[in-house]
Amino acid sequence: MNKRTLSYIAILLGVALASCKKDYTDTSGPSSSQAFNSPNALTDVAVGLQNWYTAGRGGLVYNTITADGILTNQLYVVNAGNTDEAQLGTGGGAVQNTNGVVTGLWGVSNKIIYDANLVLAQTPKIVTDKNYASGLIAYASVFKAMAIGDLATFWDQVPTGIADTLGASNVGFETAPQGYLNALTVINDALTTIGANPIGSSFLVNTPNSIDIPNTLYALKARYSLFAGNYADALAAAQQVNLTVKSVFGYNTVVTNPIFTLATSTNNIYQPVDSAMGLPAGLQPDAGDKREPFYIAIGANPRYRISGFFNATNAPIPVYLPGEMMLIMAECYTRQGNLVSGANWLDSVVLKQPAKDPFGVGAGLSTPVTYTGQNDLLNQIYKHRCIELFMGGLRLADQRRFSRPVTERKRSFLPFPFVERNGNANTPADPTF
Amino acid sequence: MKKIQLTLCVFGLTCLAALSAGAQVRFTGTVTDGAGKPLPSVTVQVKGTNTGTSTGDNGVYTLSPTLNPGSYVLVFSGVGYKTLDRLVTVGNASSYTIDAQLESSSLSLDEVVVTGTSAGTTRRQLGSYISSVKADDLTKGSTGNVLAALQGKTAGAQVTQNSGDPAGGISVKLRGISTISGSSDPLYIIDGVIVDNSTTRVTNTDATYAGGNFVGSIGQNRLVDINPNDIERIEVLNGAAAAAIYGSRANAGVVQIFTKKGSTGAPIVNFTTSANLNQLRKKLPVNTAPVKFGGSPATQTQTILTPTITNTSPVTRYNYQDYIFRTAMGTDNTVSVSGGRDKTKYYTSASYLYNGGIVRNTNFSRYSFRLNLDQVLNNWASFNVTMNYIYDKTNEKPDGNSFFSPTNSVTIIGNYYNIRQRDALGNLLAVGERGRANPASVIEDFRQQQQTNRIISGAGVTLTPIKNLTVDYHMGIDNYNQDGTTFIPPYAYNVSLAFFGGGPSLDPTQNGYASTGTNTSFLINHDLNLTYNWKISDNLSSVTQVGYSQQYQKMHYSLQQGRGLPPYVQTVSGASTAIPGVDQRTELSISGEFIQQNFKYRNQLFITGALRNDGSSVFGSSQRNQVYSKLSGSYILSGTDYWGSLGIAKWWDLFKLRAAYGESGNLTGIPAYGRFNTYIASAFIGASSFTGQTTYTNPDIKPERQKELEFGTDMSFLGNRIGLSFNYYRKRVNDLLISRLIAPTNGYSSLTDNIGALENKGYEIVLNFEPVKTKDFTWDITAIYNHNENKALDIGQSLLLFNTTSGAPVAIIGGQPIGIFYGTFFATGADGKQVKNPAGIPQTESGIQNSPLSYTPQRSQATGLPTGTALQKIIGNPNPKYTSTITTDLSYKKLGLHIQVDAVHGVDVFNADFRTRQGVDNGTVAQQEDLGQLPRGYIAGIYAIQQWRVDNGSYVKLREVSLSYDFGTGIKGLKDLSFSLGGRNLVSWDSYNGYDPEINSAGQSTLLRGIDFGAIPIPRTFSATLRAKF
Repeated sequence: MNKRTLSYIAILLGVALASCKKDYTDTSGPSSSQAFNSPNALTDVAVGLQNWYTAGRGGLVYNTITADGILTNQLYVVNAGNTDEAQLGTGGGAVQNTNGVVTGLWGVSNKIIYDANLVLAQTPKIVTDKNYASGLIAYASVFKAMAIGDLATFWDQVPTGIADTLGASNVGFETAPQGYLNALTVINDALTTIGANPIGSSFLVNTPNSIDIPNTLYALKARYSLFAGNYADALAAAQQVNLTVKSVFGYNTVVTNPIFTLATSTNNIYQPVDSAMGLPAGLQPDAGDKREPFYIAIGANPRYRISGFFNATNAPIPVYLPGEMMLIMAECYTRQGNLVSGANWLDSVVLKQPAKDPFGVGAGLSTPVTYTGQNDLLNQIYKHRCIELFMGGLRLADQRRFSRPVTERKRSFLPFPFVERNGNANTPADPTF
Repeated sequence: MKKIQLTLCVFGLTCLAALSAGAQVRFTGTVTDGAGKPLPSVTVQVKGTNTGTSTGDNGVYTLSPTLNPGSYVLVFSGVGYKTLDRLVTVGNASSYTIDAQLESSSLSLDEVVVTGTSAGTTRRQLGSYISSVKADDLTKGSTGNVLAALQGKTAGAQVTQNSGDPAGGISVKLRGISTISGSSDPLYIIDGVIVDNSTTRVTNTDATYAGGNFVGSIGQNRLVDINPNDIERIEVLNGAAAAAIYGSRANAGVVQIFTKKGSTGAPIVNFTTSANLNQLRKKLPVNTAPVKFGGSPATQTQTILTPTITNTSPVTRYNYQDYIFRTAMGTDNTVSVSGGRDKTKYYTSASYLYNGGIVRNTNFSRYSFRLNLDQVLNNWASFNVTMNYIYDKTNEKPDGNSFFSPTNSVTIIGNYYNIRQRDALGNLLAVGERGRANPASVIEDFRQQQQTNRIISGAGVTLTPIKNLTVDYHMGIDNYNQDGTTFIPPYAYNVSLAFFGGGPSLDPTQNGYASTGTNTSFLINHDLNLTYNWKISDNLSSVTQVGYSQQYQKMHYSLQQGRGLPPYVQTVSGASTAIPGVDQRTELSISGEFIQQNFKYRNQLFITGALRNDGSSVFGSSQRNQVYSKLSGSYILSGTDYWGSLGIAKWWDLFKLRAAYGESGNLTGIPAYGRFNTYIASAFIGASSFTGQTTYTNPDIKPERQKELEFGTDMSFLGNRIGLSFNYYRKRVNDLLISRLIAPTNGYSSLTDNIGALENKGYEIVLNFEPVKTKDFTWDITAIYNHNENKALDIGQSLLLFNTTSGAPVAIIGGQPIGIFYGTFFATGADGKQVKNPAGIPQTESGIQNSPLSYTPQRSQATGLPTGTALQKIIGNPNPKYTSTITTDLSYKKLGLHIQVDAVHGVDVFNADFRTRQGVDNGTVAQQEDLGQLPRGYIAGIYAIQQWRVDNGSYVKLREVSLSYDFGTGIKGLKDLSFSLGGRNLVSWDSYNGYDPEINSAGQSTLLRGIDFGAIPIPRTFSATLRAKF
């Protein structure tokens, strides 16, 4: 062998063996540490919270409306092949702890709380622009508060927070009313933050910007204070909400309205039970109530079909309705003994023309309410909450608050998901109903 | 690096020293078998040198080495024959004729196998079982897919065709599954080139169609690109005991494929042509009831599930299978030219395969060109190159797991629509009110195509710088580009948005779908091996081997998609609504070195030990380097002097005992970037969204590690007429990567970590029997029996349950086989009969679930019916108890008959389609309810009982039949001509309530197996083949 051949071979081998690189980076997205080390990345994680909350069959919008709607008899399951929804439709013991809706609601709520915690903790360290930081904190707080609120709505006990050591510690539990108070702490902190430094527009341009954050924080404060039984706080917060502002979860042709995409357009999961909105005699909509045709379309096979905020691919879904704020005020006054103001606010809902409502929700009735006492007035407030907030995900909580008979629902609380019980020794016993 | 350079320098010096002049001599001769028939492809080598060749088809070889006078040994070795050594003394003559007659051995003890060594070793020395499949056995089975051809051919392998598509995926599981995360298919090496056999979907890829659930690994796997006609033989290494030398890549075993080589002599032209006919083997019975419950099919469907509807409407029933299935033709043509002169040998081939699918408008075609070149440079160096270019193209339809696949589109609607009916404008009509796709749209309007361009090439040098030292360097590249397009035209009728329709309003922003996906994969491997043979004494010799290998892989997958297609537009760019695409890029590298030492005592006792160190970029720096060890030994009792003196030696020819222990790792358990826990970036309504994943991967994760212990024996009797091999093995995979479910209050739903362990233990029996062997008539029987028990030992939790698109409740439970079905079941009474309510409808067992595997049924005092929560238990197991094959080969003069029967026993299939057919009123159970033979509400009553969908998947299949006639050399101008008629999957004996229990709509998934949800059944194939040799 001559030297040249030898050197060729040596070079060949040298080239072949030289590259022993072992460290590569994933170019498709930030690692779990990179996601929390710049203002823009933090904002995108916060937008991710809205993504988790609102998009797809796994999102909380779909799962809260579905679970609430089916459990409280607003909706019935069209095709029993949708096992998860069908179990809710049968209710009681048929709702297994492996149910996809149950597991999804629990898992996504906790996921949102987990990522929101990281955003809220990192923002003061990373973001120097006070107004930007204020927006980021308030925006993330909206989803954290709603995730906690949803847990408190569907379970009788809620986790105290997120586990300290991943996979190795058991989170404790506390009562659902305490859960609402936790949500309120998040909201109050956010309100304090935006009170000190208004939300900067430089933050908002990085978000879908369909949610009016300050009004939403007050609306959520009103809702959860009411659920926690703090009527004075609820009333005060509801009064802060500008009733002409629309605050919505936006959709487009890519991120589509999940109820429309999954249920309305397929006619294969669920539809409204009937034109009475699943309400018992005495609480059913009055003749001529324009909210009924707003929410329920008439077709054939089945006759009653989903409409309302779920009638188009890109239809926005309200975060809260102005009518909910009016009814909160009506209820708070009534529960505090001020029946006149209570009835006035209820009238403002009952007499509201669709055109006068930013979302077009209006009973449009001509007769003010008449009532025989506090209980009767509360009963009528419940009735109009059910109608005004049809498929709004709030009726299960309302049924419990208004002590409605259990025959009107399929379950009062959901069982704890198998995945939680399997991995957390503190998981409480499942409620029997 | 430094070490290698130093070694190279040392070689350089020794090489130069070895350069001393010799004279060129010529060896020639004919190699024949025991009957005097010429033997092709026998390797002839001058022992201790690099000079070698192989015989041509006439059995003749010619070698022209440059040698000094002296004694040399010529080694003759051929697959299936005992190796023969012939001593030659080179003197002054320039030419020597050395003929050789090789003795066949049914157990092929001295057959050469290549187990990660450059020089190869003989089967005699192996402490572990390695099966070898010859070319002849791969081409009798009427298939153009090399993995299908392997079905039933090797012990320890379960080869399952998952789809009956013309390029349908095939999984190979060697001694059970070896992981639960990632692929459990073996490492494939073709002529030293590590090749990619992954399954990547470039068509029909939108994530939404899988519902976000666990869907599996569906579609073609890339070994479909390989032309079986090019293959000389395949070696299969079942587990770590045999494959430890492959280190981190060998957990699922290794399959080595060797393609044909040329031999010196006149060029030989081989031409093979075959035509085949594919058809649906079994048509399912459909509902023929003249009525349906409820109103008109146009407005009210799936009424069978609503027992309150009791009125009926008259309907006309159709059998859609007549429409979607067809009998399809295929052809397979290969021409090869091989030959060589002096120091150059070549094999070239060109082939074209066309295979029509049994679903209308589906087919697969493949072009393949190959060049294998071997060049001897001088008496101490040789060089070889292999090149294989492949282009293939598939016309497909959406696969299972979606309601718009051909079979599912039929399964999901009642059979009372005239699906081919069109309106005045020529548009197809809606099938009911639920927004399903009309099967005719799927068959006639959907366009789904993919094509692959691939080049697999390798180059190597073999040097013998000094006597007994071989240096072998090989580099291989597997580079392919897979490109797919999907087009669903806008429907003219209401189809649900979930099936890419426009809904009742035919929303133009949603109606229709187009996608384009590409996958570019580049894989390169380098192997440098040094082998030193040392004869220590007359009785003791040693082989020492050191090696270094490196592998690098780069993948780029991209997908663009859109919906809402305007008229005439089939491309994504014209879609009115963009759907988020995918742009995925990964790189990974592995490198490692090994040392292996082998001692041989008197050709009776063999001991081999090896160590390998491997590092991979997939794992964090703290866990990057892993050491694997191996120790094996074999003892040939029948080779001892003592044995020879025994009386039994007269009829007992061979008795070998062997034992082997080995370790290996798994690199595919986590994705290349899994440990980064990347937040997923996506567009979200005018903003960017980062969403965390639901699974957290421990950044300090390490590879899974398998330890395998194998014992075995090889025996042969009566002049090798009866051969028997038995293997017992126990494989344990520790540090099993499991995505353990964790409480969602951790912020993640699962945690991937080295948590668990799994075990496969079992035995394999291979029996060869030659009952008749005369000059004109021979009869060979081969029986293979594989028994494997697979079990999850520790999974860090009591139960892992997976939601799947098909609804199959796939679970992993400690102490149980992996991938079992776990769910609700029928309530039964003390007499074992189903508990029924007064209406006669079976009930779900209910009561108290104490733990995943323990429950207490409860009965209501009042009604005697089950009460409490619905109970769950193991309701099925997709892991067969055993698989077995019996092959018989008869030959009488020029006539040959080959029959192969495969049996798979003790296995369950989750038959999702069966239930759907009843729920939509096109199945035969629905017919009974329609006709009042079953109580009204029967199907609705048992619909939710998951056990109803578990079906018996055992089968016995007439896998291969081939009747051939060999005209021999009698025809002028031809060296040989043979003709054969054959068939594949001709008959299946089973009690399955579907097309074929050999199916998996989850494709090549490791975890999801035995699921029947809209996949295309495997066709029955008839073929006629002509082989001519010029």
